[in-house]
Amino acid sequence: MRKSKTPKAVLGVSPLTHFISTGLYLLRCRMSALRLISNRTSQQALSNSDYTWDYEYYEYGPVSFEGLKAHKYSIVIGFWVGLAVFVIFMFFVLTLLTKTGAPHQDNAELSEKRFHMKSFVAEFGRPLESDRVFSHQMAEESQSLFHFCINEVDHMNKEKESQKGPSLESNTHFQEVPKSSAMFEEDLHCLTKFNIPNFVNTEQNSSLGEDDLLISEPPIIL
Amino acid sequence: MNTERPSNLIKHPGQTSIPSLENISNFSLNITDCTQVVVPEEVFFTVAAAGILENLLILIAVVRNKNLHLPMYFFICSLAISDMLGSLYKTLENIFIILCKMGYLTRHGDFEKKLDDAMDSMFILSLLGSIFSLLAIAADRYITIFYALRYHNIMTLRRALVILAIIWAFCAGSSIAIALFSYEAATVIPFTILFPLMMFFILCLYIHMFLLARSHAKKIASLPSSTVHHRTNMKGAITLTIFLGVFLCCWAPFVLHILLARFCPHNPYCACYMSIFHVNGTLIMCNAIINPMIFAFRSPELRSTFKKMFYCPRSKLKIPTITPKVMLCL
Repeated sequence: MRKSKTPKAVLGVSPLTHFISTGLYLLRCRMSALRLISNRTSQQALSNSDYTWDYEYYEYGPVSFEGLKAHKYSIVIGFWVGLAVFVIFMFFVLTLLTKTGAPHQDNAELSEKRFHMKSFVAEFGRPLESDRVFSHQMAEESQSLFHFCINEVDHMNKEKESQKGPSLESNTHFQEVPKSSAMFEEDLHCLTKFNIPNFVNTEQNSSLGEDDLLISEPPIIL
Repeated sequence: MNTERPSNLIKHPGQTSIPSLENISNFSLNITDCTQVVVPEEVFFTVAAAGILENLLILIAVVRNKNLHLPMYFFICSLAISDMLGSLYKTLENIFIILCKMGYLTRHGDFEKKLDDAMDSMFILSLLGSIFSLLAIAADRYITIFYALRYHNIMTLRRALVILAIIWAFCAGSSIAIALFSYEAATVIPFTILFPLMMFFILCLYIHMFLLARSHAKKIASLPSSTVHHRTNMKGAITLTIFLGVFLCCWAPFVLHILLARFCPHNPYCACYMSIFHVNGTLIMCNAIINPMIFAFRSPELRSTFKKMFYCPRSKLKIPTITPKVMLCL
């Protein structure tokens, strides 16, 4: 049951809440409101509930539909067409982003990266592949994370040209090369499955330790 | 909400009671041009019930599985709660309409008023909670990607809970304020500006993440051992489009309705748009159904939790990472 907010009715302005529900109540409760009004004859009839029905009718007062130049549902049609066009446009923009790639790097850089990556993958890939404890998605995530680490180290070593170790806590390095530092095997579609915190928290998850006596190897700690 | 000026209601009894009947007849003549598009109650209830059940399942799954006690899943839970509130609001509203039709809810003005206000606040709370939860999820993913190695330090569990508490306190306060002062333009305009602003911000976050993912997919594609195809990049574009498209299509009609209701209630074009209000409401409830599919069900761990919940109701749900021989329903 909606009670109209009187000041708004007087001013011709409807409140948000009024419009949230007014239409439905207007039609469906109209009959009951009519019954109520017709049955009342005294001051008793002038309770709040009766006034609200009346004020609601005032608000939706005479809306003349004569002389419309365009179709009466033109706003509806225009809105949905506009929305569809916008979504399709957004899709094409995103698709174009996938087609136009980043500028190609030098071959030397590429080969160096490949070497580094292979070595790191070989190093960290073994425990993952031999470890049947971890589920498949955690293996994927951990590999992605390791690739991330690999590339971070790689870039820092290359671009800084200093013998700074893999100080992976330094966030500023990440910021310098935001587009080329991290590495992912999946695309954005899999980012929802990219469960880094899940993996990172593995060793701190006590539930794994106390109840599960079957994890044969400890989780790989970053 | 109308407690502040109840005297105005009773001030002019003559004016209201007598013309009301005439206005009703006038009203009925005028409204036939653009009649309210009525969604059947069965559809309403089905959609609302489906939304509530789905989101409740997610909440139960996250609560029961200790491995899901992570910031990412807490934000997804927050989204589930706000979707559930929206569907609950619609369900209660429909129940009240049915009771009104039967004639049960006509007498007790104060009780109904308070209930009315509470329900309006709930709806606005759901809307704001939805927007801010989506924003929190996008920000969480952004931090996951761009600050991956420090993610665990940046987004601790405690911080995530504090962020959620702040978001919900803000949403609750705003919803009560908007419900109380909803008739002023000062509340409607910020409310409608917030929506595209948030959407634009979320879009920027995701595009940045998307660009990064694309550039690295390209790098991986240059490796000899990689098997990434362009198809995966297309999938990313499709995912992002689906996510933002659903958000827009479900919420934008309602926001436009509010704008038109505030600024041109008597315009025939606006009135015709406002006549499809129930379709807009149903879209919001559909959003409550689609959101879990986009966010929650994508997570493999949550899916496995659901499977365990349905197939093995009595087993413990804390151990997804065990050897196959232990994955029995004990």
